[in-house]
Amino acid sequence: MDNLKIQNLHMNFSGVKALDDVSFKVQKGEVFSLIGPNGSGKSTLFNCINGFCIPQQGSIKFENVDLLKIKPHETVKHGISRTFQNLQNVPYMTLLDNVLLGAHRRLSMTDTFNRWISQKEREREEAMALEVLDFLGIANFEKKYLSGQPYGIQKLVEIARALICKPKMILMDEPAAGMNDQETLEIAKIISEIRDILGITVLVVEHDMNLVMSISDRICVLDSGKILAMGKPVEVKNHPEVIKVFLGDEAHA
Amino acid sequence: MKGRYDDENLKWIPILIIAVYLSPFLLKSATFSYKYYLYILNMAGIYMILTVGLDLLSGFTGLMSLGHAAFLAIGAYTSAILVDQAGLPFELSLIITPVIVGLCGLMIGFPALRIEGMYLGLTTMGFGFIVKRLIIAFRDWTGGSAGLQVSKATLFGFTISNDWNNYFMIYTFAIIAIIVARRIVKSKLGRVFMAIRDSEQAAQASGINIAKYKMLSFFISGMFAGFAGVLFAHTNHFISTDHFDILLSVYFIVMVLVGGVGSIYGAVLGTLFIVLMENMFIPLFKDTLTQYMHLEAGDFQAFIFGLIMLLFIIFQPMGLYGMWLKMRIYWKLFPFNPRKRFT
Repeated sequence: MDNLKIQNLHMNFSGVKALDDVSFKVQKGEVFSLIGPNGSGKSTLFNCINGFCIPQQGSIKFENVDLLKIKPHETVKHGISRTFQNLQNVPYMTLLDNVLLGAHRRLSMTDTFNRWISQKEREREEAMALEVLDFLGIANFEKKYLSGQPYGIQKLVEIARALICKPKMILMDEPAAGMNDQETLEIAKIISEIRDILGITVLVVEHDMNLVMSISDRICVLDSGKILAMGKPVEVKNHPEVIKVFLGDEAHA
Repeated sequence: MKGRYDDENLKWIPILIIAVYLSPFLLKSATFSYKYYLYILNMAGIYMILTVGLDLLSGFTGLMSLGHAAFLAIGAYTSAILVDQAGLPFELSLIITPVIVGLCGLMIGFPALRIEGMYLGLTTMGFGFIVKRLIIAFRDWTGGSAGLQVSKATLFGFTISNDWNNYFMIYTFAIIAIIVARRIVKSKLGRVFMAIRDSEQAAQASGINIAKYKMLSFFISGMFAGFAGVLFAHTNHFISTDHFDILLSVYFIVMVLVGGVGSIYGAVLGTLFIVLMENMFIPLFKDTLTQYMHLEAGDFQAFIFGLIMLLFIIFQPMGLYGMWLKMRIYWKLFPFNPRKRFT
């Protein structure tokens, strides 16, 4: 069953072809990785799915919703949430508040003017935020301000914020960038748990090959906007073009 | 679940509120010139309402505004015209005027969707100039640059005539304004504002319509300013364009900065600090300083405020509220000197 369907996507930034005729399908409940050298259009693809960029040609469909017609903030409504390559969270807010930011759509405005009416709703969301933090293994930090926390925790908070939206698909832009080996293993475990336990489709952009090979169901290799290879990790690993791009000609010989 | 996420420590709030209501009685028993001090405190109370709103806009949403004196002016003139010329009761004006000023805020909020930072500051400053000229232009209603006499406030059949009564009215509304602002900050809305300030991408990715909430921030801030404007007009009994100078907008920014950007209590503290400084402490050492420097009366204040702002930004960027937080932590951990921990 197809979840995300991308067809003939073209995206130019005034002459630079960021995406050139990209089309693939992502099935429900799989971990789909996008890899490729720097500037190969991975993040652009994410931005197109999320609505930050509008491609010149092509179509992106997610469960029969045309994602090109909706605004960035509406993608959450259709079940897509994302994390970012650089940290994008609010440092002067507690961890719990940062996570609750993702639950924005489910909280009503009455919270501001009458605490007692919306108490049930608020407590429900807070319990859920704590559950998500627990799932990611950073419970008991919820009252701390984010600004002093280590990088790994800040990264996890972003994932928590994406998870509390109750998405059907998460886009993760380099979840393991800047993490040490221990934390990378943790991330790998979390991603496979998100797929297996929560049943959420995960789209990952990542440079860490060990991580990508160990968690992905399918991998798509992009190079300067074109799809080089696509398939299971083993197939991609032994694909001659991929080896050429990643390791150079001599390594293949 | 309960108690895990308490908003704040509430036990000091009633004591503070009682102290606010008792302080005029203490002043009366302490000095003969208590009316002068009450006048100063009333000024601080009005500005407090406005700076709290400004803090919501500039400190929390990160949209700089140098046009808040203009919002105050619109509020003051609108209320004066509504009450004196249209004959509306004061209570109704208290509701209508903030909404009108809030709508003016929306008008300014519209360009803010495209403009950021310093440029937004300049745009709002331009708005301030426009409003001043417009007030002079509509002289049939506003009295032009000659100013406008405003009637006394009548609240539920009770005429509020002198500074003593003004104090209780202004501080009742100020307390309400501060509580409302705290609620806004501590609820979903505050989270959204801070997310817009720190990361627009994250806000959008979690389903926040940035345009809507930026406009809402301007609307709310405008409402606070309009509220302050109503009180300003009906307690000063005389308004003119000179009251709403561009320098006043800058002073509001200084008040927020000195108090601590991004905290409601900070804005309150900063306002008190600046107003008391302006009216009580500067006159004390003014004469000695003017012996050495050739400064006019108005220049002297600008000089001192510039100096205060400079020193605060360099030495205490968190403002007065940040200082208070540091002190509290210091006394909590008293024997173990945590001087190096919170720099």
